[in-house]
Amino acid sequence: MRTLIFATAIRMLTPVFLAFSIYILFRGHNHPGGGFIGGLIGSIAFVFHILGLGTRQTAKSYFSITFYKYDRKPHHGTIRHALRLLRKNLDRRKQKEKPKSIWNYYLLRLRPTYLMAVGLLVAVASGMVGLVLGKPFMTAYWVEGKIPVIGSLGTPLMFDAGVYLLVLGMVLKMVFTISKD
Amino acid sequence: MLIALTTCFLIAFSAPWLYKWLGKHVVIPMALLPFGVMAYLSTLLPDVLHHVPVVQTHTWVPSLGINLDFRLDGLSLLFALLITFFGGLIMIYAAAYLKDNPLLGRFYLFLTLFMAAMLGLVTADNFFSLFLFWEITSISSYLLIGFDNKNKTARTSAWQALLVTGMGGLALMGAFILISIGTGSYTFSELLRQESDFSQHAFFAPALLLILLGCFTKSAQFPFHFWLPNAMAAPTPVSAYLHSATMVKAGIYLLARLSPVFSGSEVWQLTLAGVGAATALLGAFLALQHTDMKAILAYTTISALGQMVAMLGIGTPAALKAMVVYLLAHALYKGTLFLVAGTIDHSTGSRNLNKLHGLAKSMPAVAIAATLATLSMAGIVPFLGFIGKELLYEAALESSFLVPLLFAATFLSGVAYVAVAIALGYKVFWKNTKKQMPITHAPTPKLYGPPLILGIIGVILGLAPNLLITPVLERAAQSISGSLHTELELHIWHGFTKVLALSILTLLLGLLLYLIHDRILRHSSKLKGIYALGPDSLYRRLFQGFLHQAKLFTSAIQDGNLRRYVIYIILFFSGLMLYVLWFKTPHVLFSSRLHLLQLISFHEVVLFVLVAAALLYLLGTRSRLTSIVVMGLVGYSAALIYILFGAPDVAATQLLIETLTVVIFVLLLHKLPAFIYLSHQFKKYNYIAIALLFGAVMTYTMLLVQDHAVASELKDYYGKASLAEAHGRNIVNVILVDFRGLDTLGEITVLAVAALGIFALMRLHPEKGEKP
Repeated sequence: MRTLIFATAIRMLTPVFLAFSIYILFRGHNHPGGGFIGGLIGSIAFVFHILGLGTRQTAKSYFSITFYKYDRKPHHGTIRHALRLLRKNLDRRKQKEKPKSIWNYYLLRLRPTYLMAVGLLVAVASGMVGLVLGKPFMTAYWVEGKIPVIGSLGTPLMFDAGVYLLVLGMVLKMVFTISKD
Repeated sequence: MLIALTTCFLIAFSAPWLYKWLGKHVVIPMALLPFGVMAYLSTLLPDVLHHVPVVQTHTWVPSLGINLDFRLDGLSLLFALLITFFGGLIMIYAAAYLKDNPLLGRFYLFLTLFMAAMLGLVTADNFFSLFLFWEITSISSYLLIGFDNKNKTARTSAWQALLVTGMGGLALMGAFILISIGTGSYTFSELLRQESDFSQHAFFAPALLLILLGCFTKSAQFPFHFWLPNAMAAPTPVSAYLHSATMVKAGIYLLARLSPVFSGSEVWQLTLAGVGAATALLGAFLALQHTDMKAILAYTTISALGQMVAMLGIGTPAALKAMVVYLLAHALYKGTLFLVAGTIDHSTGSRNLNKLHGLAKSMPAVAIAATLATLSMAGIVPFLGFIGKELLYEAALESSFLVPLLFAATFLSGVAYVAVAIALGYKVFWKNTKKQMPITHAPTPKLYGPPLILGIIGVILGLAPNLLITPVLERAAQSISGSLHTELELHIWHGFTKVLALSILTLLLGLLLYLIHDRILRHSSKLKGIYALGPDSLYRRLFQGFLHQAKLFTSAIQDGNLRRYVIYIILFFSGLMLYVLWFKTPHVLFSSRLHLLQLISFHEVVLFVLVAAALLYLLGTRSRLTSIVVMGLVGYSAALIYILFGAPDVAATQLLIETLTVVIFVLLLHKLPAFIYLSHQFKKYNYIAIALLFGAVMTYTMLLVQDHAVASELKDYYGKASLAEAHGRNIVNVILVDFRGLDTLGEITVLAVAALGIFALMRLHPEKGEKP
């Protein structure tokens, strides 16, 4: 499956898929769609990315963030230091070479299990809103007014977002585990 | 109340972090918490004393009658004060007892969790919130008994306690449901106010029995007493707190709480009196067979619990008064003695009565605490224990039934207590002081302070009972009897009465029993044969047998052949369906449906042919990749069918799932072994037959359902309410996330657990000898 055409295409298409999946999540309340379908589309985007570029590349480009930092030099002012840090961190995709010796970096990895946990937490938290306000668990609350594309905001949407994250995390967990050898 | 409880739970769960952060000073917040709650409860004291119960209500699941209602009357307050006061002392004690244990934070978590649950239990007014707290006490007791989790005895004892009390908890749930159906009330206060007589209801007898089962298991009454001595595997602070002063009294509490409802019934009176007396006798008898201090204390606790249950069974005002006074006296002296036993164990490394002697010199403060407690236990004059015992004798003699048995139970166990008290107080501390007993390290103030405080309180309350504690006890007795006319006045001195003579006789006989105690111990091994028939070994045999059978069953059914699992499931399901279809339902008239065949349109036929062809091809293929692709084809066709019949949500999900399945199969493909036909061709026909059967059953069922569509308002309701109430036009999604959101929450939780299960399975390497 790892052909050049497929890999290049998928690299460009994955963000589109992801955006589409989020769109599906939001439109779910009024049109076919919703958290479950959205989560599946999102995970399929990643699955194709894995098929095209391999697990390692997927994890690197979507599930880890590298923060660069270095100790401030005496002749660098605070603002200059901050600007340099900002530039380094924003530009990092273009840099092919390894971080130079003065640059330390943090690697923040986003594990699919965390996605699952966060999804479950968001879903439960959306139910707790009612409980905190003195109503039974999972009473829905809506914010007045409408936003284009998203529609109206409310706890059911938050619940759906929880479902989305959980489904995404679950499929990714499975696929990552299976495709790793 | 809710705030206090929530604080307790929050602090409980932050205990490990507090320990990490504060180190050994973690004891400060943990001990301040119970004392703080106690101070809060004390502010409510005046209200309760003026017969105004404190009531607080918080809705939780109002549609099911489940609310967090709290109601603080005399009985609840007595228990709540006991729980918080003991809790504070135990927290301090535990800091010293488990000083070097790196898991102290976790210990505090469990202990505080337990304390919060127990507080909730005694203040809950709603049946189901009481049940919830009841179960949390069982679980935290399990965690605490098994705290030393590397010790096999501790683990099995913890299991035993959980299973026995858990069974009782289930029984209790049943009882509560029956009561709430029978009377329509979900709270104790409502139940007690009710005019109609529940005792005439058909559910009265089963509810009564279930309540008794629940309370007897919790309070270690015969024949469920066996878990309590085994629970002594817990660290000593736990034994002192849970298994002597508080948790085992939860059963007593519930019996007392429900006493006004049930006490009219003879079954209630006789069962409580009979079982209580039997437990009292048995506990006292078994206490004399042991030399381990904790075991002795455990059996005397069982015996004392039996006496309290018997008093509740008698149910006269005198008996109820005796019950509450004895409850307090017992908690004070038994708590002290447990703590003393723990301190001795900590300092000398032994709890064996035969090895310990003359400790008074090396640990004077502990000796004073122990002496005070044992004097109270034996029932010597100025102590609260004396008053309690006098009242017990009086109540037993005035009972309207079973007088000989009840009196024998109180008297004989009284004699045994005296003997045990002499052994624990005199023999361990004051006998042979000349010969020094080697102690590894002297007890610190945290180790002897709490028992000393408890012991001294026992004296103070005995000397001036009316000043301090009578009003609360009186309110408690009134809550149990349900009438305001139960008055309580406690006196140290009743004059020369029959009861006093009995008390002196008890002391003398107890002394005699102590003198021949050694001889009893020597002969106790002869009774081993009888114990083999006891409930403990019965439980063990049952447990082993159950595990053995389960193993046999599992290895017979689940042999690792995936295909066979599916076959079992499908055959079982089809069998059930066929039974129902054959015997219970009307038949489908095929002839009336024949004309429908004309309505089939062309694209439906195409889809049908496609699926059928794909399936036929699948049967003959010998390549995995082909079968995966063909299965995908079948799945996509199913999605097409959904679209044709107007279910875009389902169709989208089906399409995506099908895609994912194919892709995941492809990812897995290179890991699988070569594709070989191991099964005989004949077996394949079997599988085809099973598949056809399942398909036929499902098709028939669908036709049947269509013939007899149930008239449901649900569809209309959802259709209307979807936009009006839930702000959504997509009914499917609104149902998923709003109307039936709880179901979805359950489903996604299952998904998460399944993913973790898959992860565990994939990471397992059976070829390396790893076991699940």
